[in-house]
Amino acid sequence: MRRRATVAGRRQGAIGYVLIAPAVLATVVFLLIPMVVSAYWSFTDFDGLRPPVWVGLDNYADLLASSRFMRSLQNTVVFVILGMGIGPTLGLASALLLNNRVRFRALLRAAYFLPTMTSLVVVATIWKMLYQEQGLLNTLLGFFGLPAHAWLADPTTALPAVVATSVWQGFGFETVVFLAALQAIPREYYDAARVDGAGAWAQFRYVTLPGLRPTILFIYVIGIIGSFQVFDQIFVMTQGGPIQATRTLVFHLYDRFNSLDLGTASAVAYVLLVILAVLSYIQFRLFEARE
Amino acid sequence: MKLPRLARRTLLYVALFGTALVMLAPFYWTVSTSFKPSGDVFASPPKWIPDPLILDNYRDVFTLLPFPRYFLNSVVVTGSVVLFNVVFGTAAAYAFAKLRFRGRDLVFGLLLLTLMVPFQVNLIPLYKIMVELHRAVPFLGADTYFGLVAPSAISVFGIFLMRQFLRSIPDELLESARVDGASEWRILRSIVFPLATPGMATLAIFSFVGAWNDFLWPLIVTSSDSMRTLPVGLALLARRNTVNWGDTMAGTVLVALPMILVFLVLQRRFIEGLTAGAVKDVE
Repeated sequence: MRRRATVAGRRQGAIGYVLIAPAVLATVVFLLIPMVVSAYWSFTDFDGLRPPVWVGLDNYADLLASSRFMRSLQNTVVFVILGMGIGPTLGLASALLLNNRVRFRALLRAAYFLPTMTSLVVVATIWKMLYQEQGLLNTLLGFFGLPAHAWLADPTTALPAVVATSVWQGFGFETVVFLAALQAIPREYYDAARVDGAGAWAQFRYVTLPGLRPTILFIYVIGIIGSFQVFDQIFVMTQGGPIQATRTLVFHLYDRFNSLDLGTASAVAYVLLVILAVLSYIQFRLFEARE
Repeated sequence: MKLPRLARRTLLYVALFGTALVMLAPFYWTVSTSFKPSGDVFASPPKWIPDPLILDNYRDVFTLLPFPRYFLNSVVVTGSVVLFNVVFGTAAAYAFAKLRFRGRDLVFGLLLLTLMVPFQVNLIPLYKIMVELHRAVPFLGADTYFGLVAPSAISVFGIFLMRQFLRSIPDELLESARVDGASEWRILRSIVFPLATPGMATLAIFSFVGAWNDFLWPLIVTSSDSMRTLPVGLALLARRNTVNWGDTMAGTVLVALPMILVFLVLQRRFIEGLTAGAVKDVE
């Protein structure tokens, strides 16, 4: 009996290795090896053709001294803060509205979700047209007596305009996730709160918000990581312009890559990695503290 | 101050349908613009219904770009990514969830760590690998289906999702099958896969949406027009063509339509699938 069990165990082990082999192999070849190579290149001068030349920390020092890089870092941070400040709040608000007894809820939910399903390239192309000086947005604003504005051509409004498009795209996802979380909060909690004399605000503060805490964290973790990597919208709508006003980290990386400055591009990638690692660590600790 | 019930209900519906309008109007405007002659695109007051309604923009797009080819590429790439993710992802997830072997938890932990690495970190070496591979073997590497598919063929997030799902299968079920003399392969085929179908559907949806909408990697790894996917083709059209919005919107409709149709048919599954993991239990 014992013998049989160990034979079965060994067989299970062998099959285990076979089953994970493709996943492990793919991760090593397409992720781990490139990751190490990229780290090495970030310390070299490399144009992709001639062999890389070791330059130590020069690429990183150059980044700090580069106004275009610093601008891209600043723009990315602004993008993340604006987008994460507005998007999830709107999503929660609309989920609270949908969580009432409303007709056509499934229909509304699908309508809100549609942009989330659509590729960012499509969304960005549509909004690029809407933002044109003679575009629909200005026409509609004109009905309220507001002057036309070239949203994407003006350095002060270009980045907020890209943020608005991104918020519009992510809104449905946030709504649907918050709605599902709201519906998972047991009704009895609200009943009990009401019995204790809690008004609408107190119920929200002491029942809804605590119940949503894991979901809020999830939305911010996913959202912040995704927002730091913003690229598609920038590529389609502004190409980083006007005058660097929408240049983001990944766009800068792409630009350096296209200019065959692979050492610098790799250094930008590692700056991004470090930022995300630090943020993930903070979020993880926050999550642990709450649990 | 409390508003009367009727007023509250009215406000609620105005807010809800107002939001729906904001979400849908840009799509309507896109479709409408795609049927307009270029002189009417920015007409004031706006022409909500194209008049005259023309098909020239669609004809232009098909002559400007090999759209059927882009569509085929997107289908092949997305189909392969979904297939590989579901098969290999489920297999690996099952091993991590249910089989006992040395180093299992260590390997899984290491895989999870890679979730933190943004794709941009491996992007450039990956591109060089694909270029070299293509030089050695013409049908592999950069500018081939292999190059487009391989980096997305397995997602660690998918394995993680499936593992959570498969853990809900009771161990006793597998044990009793083993006692009855079923081989591990048979257990996988006859017990695990059937029970895992809802999880696999979720995984399929995730990889489908991710692959179909993917942009940065297909943009970089393809260099010939015949290998572009739909989003890349559209982005390059939009960049090239800053004057004729009718054409660009026709292209946009063609790129967006397949995904929107799939979404409308499988709406519930999609919404549940894409939000899985957000709310505690998966399914």
